[in-house]
Amino acid sequence: MHTGTDAAIVTDGLRKTFPSRKGPVEAVRGVSVSIGAGEIFGLLGPNGAGKTTTLRMLTTLLSIDAGTAMVAGFDVARQPKKVRERIGYVSQLGGADDLATGRENLVLQGRLYGASLAEVKPRVDELAALLDLAEFADRRVKTYSGGQRRRLDVALGIVHQPTVLFLDEPTTGLDPQNRANLWEHLSALKDLGTTIVLTTHYLEEADVLCDRIVIVDHGQVVAEGSPRELKRRVAGDAIVITMRDQQVATERGLALLGGKSFVREISADGDQLRLYVEDGGAAMPELLRVLDGEHIGIKSMTLSEPTLDDVFLRQTGRSLRDTGAGDGARHGTEVAA
Amino acid sequence: MRTARHTALLMQRQFVQMLRNPVWLFVGFSTPLLYLVLFTPLLKHFTAGGSTGLVLDVFLPGILALLAFASGMSSGFNTIFELQSGVIERFRVTPASRFAILIGPLLSGMIMVFVFDALVVAVASALGFHINWAGIAILVVLLSLLMISMAAFSVATALVTKDISAFAAVINGLNLPLLLLAGVLLPISVGPTWMRVVAHFNPLYYAVEGARALCSGSFGAAAVWQAFAVLGPLCIVVVAWATSVFKKAVA
Repeated sequence: MHTGTDAAIVTDGLRKTFPSRKGPVEAVRGVSVSIGAGEIFGLLGPNGAGKTTTLRMLTTLLSIDAGTAMVAGFDVARQPKKVRERIGYVSQLGGADDLATGRENLVLQGRLYGASLAEVKPRVDELAALLDLAEFADRRVKTYSGGQRRRLDVALGIVHQPTVLFLDEPTTGLDPQNRANLWEHLSALKDLGTTIVLTTHYLEEADVLCDRIVIVDHGQVVAEGSPRELKRRVAGDAIVITMRDQQVATERGLALLGGKSFVREISADGDQLRLYVEDGGAAMPELLRVLDGEHIGIKSMTLSEPTLDDVFLRQTGRSLRDTGAGDGARHGTEVAA
Repeated sequence: MRTARHTALLMQRQFVQMLRNPVWLFVGFSTPLLYLVLFTPLLKHFTAGGSTGLVLDVFLPGILALLAFASGMSSGFNTIFELQSGVIERFRVTPASRFAILIGPLLSGMIMVFVFDALVVAVASALGFHINWAGIAILVVLLSLLMISMAAFSVATALVTKDISAFAAVINGLNLPLLLLAGVLLPISVGPTWMRVVAHFNPLYYAVEGARALCSGSFGAAAVWQAFAVLGPLCIVVVAWATSVFKKAVA
């Protein structure tokens, strides 16, 4: 936890309820987080978990129903102007002007933050170098590729050298190559001392990029820590076995494998058995041997390192991918049987 | 001071956006000319004397008010587009004043309309329209009030509805009755009593009547002060409302 002077953001019991035809919807239900200066902090969760709503409250775009939020040293509800001067925000949509060039967009943005034309010009060159925009900075944004556009969006968010940069789903819609490229640029920004807060439903993104994350579900924080800490809590590797003959096999498998000393946790779901073991590589042959010995046929066996999805599953009882957010972030090796 | 600077910056931005949109420019210039070319001939029989110049003296002030009204009422379409493309959200996170974010683009839209107007008046004058320069000067102020009122209303409606079809339904639903009850194309005085009564609740009616009086040089006419008495306060109220809508959450 970060408290006192080294915290870039501290929220306490943040709440937001939206009216709707079916009655009020509690989008954010008491989110308390503390984000240290210079961290890359991720809010991970499925669509509709309340990530964007939280971000919009922190960036003064949405009023706060209850709770408090301090961003860059100022109270968001009481001193929104002070907060706006110190933060950058890149929305899911970006919001660059299509008919203007990248450079024109950046110059206007800088001037809206109070810089003179003479001050903003060298800054734009600096940003063009930092985010590799120079090549296309003088073309109209309409002609940009997805990756180019996203880098411009980030540049727009940091024109005024904010202490905290908020990014809402920064890599949604980017191909893997451009995604990795943006991650590199965000890491470089972090090295310059910027605190970065981002939302994502990509497990891999939270894993690779973030120093610390909170997992958000139904408007509440369900887990908090570094990706490594969170995964360690799941203990070991995950193995999923799909049975050939559903019920009998699953029931017998549960009894048979649950007793093995190397199996830390086991659960059955439909025709699937899900196991957590210490060393997946060593466990797989052993599992095959046991099942084969009892003549239990299996369709497949999948081994994966624990992912944040396993963390999510453990905390919420649901898979992040089942919630409609999935992007196949699980790197599995499949063994046909 | 800061608000003025931000307003100027955002006005300038909108100008560039408009000038780079050839379709928009074409429609902007051609619409008023189409009214002149395709409607004026029809009116000849309704006007004593029947000369094109006399027809235009009655009809052109109405067109100018109509252009101002229509341009103002359609401002929200751009707002919807900018809401959906994230532009407005990007500006709202900056320290720029909310008033500037609202008014900047409207001012540039207004200036463009006056450019179109100048062209129409020039063409009309070549066709025999009698220009009263003092009247035109005061008319610019009156039409500015009308345009800003309608534009602020339209933008606020866009911010509330957030969605193109709902917004279009509201605006189109209002456009037609307001136009028909304003005497834009034919003076409302030829209509029955109830129509004349209802027209008095229509701000566009006052703008049209005021515009006709100003263009004919009758500065002392009741229509002139009535137009300002209605549109001045209306403008202040609508802009204040729109600014407050802007300040509140725009999800």
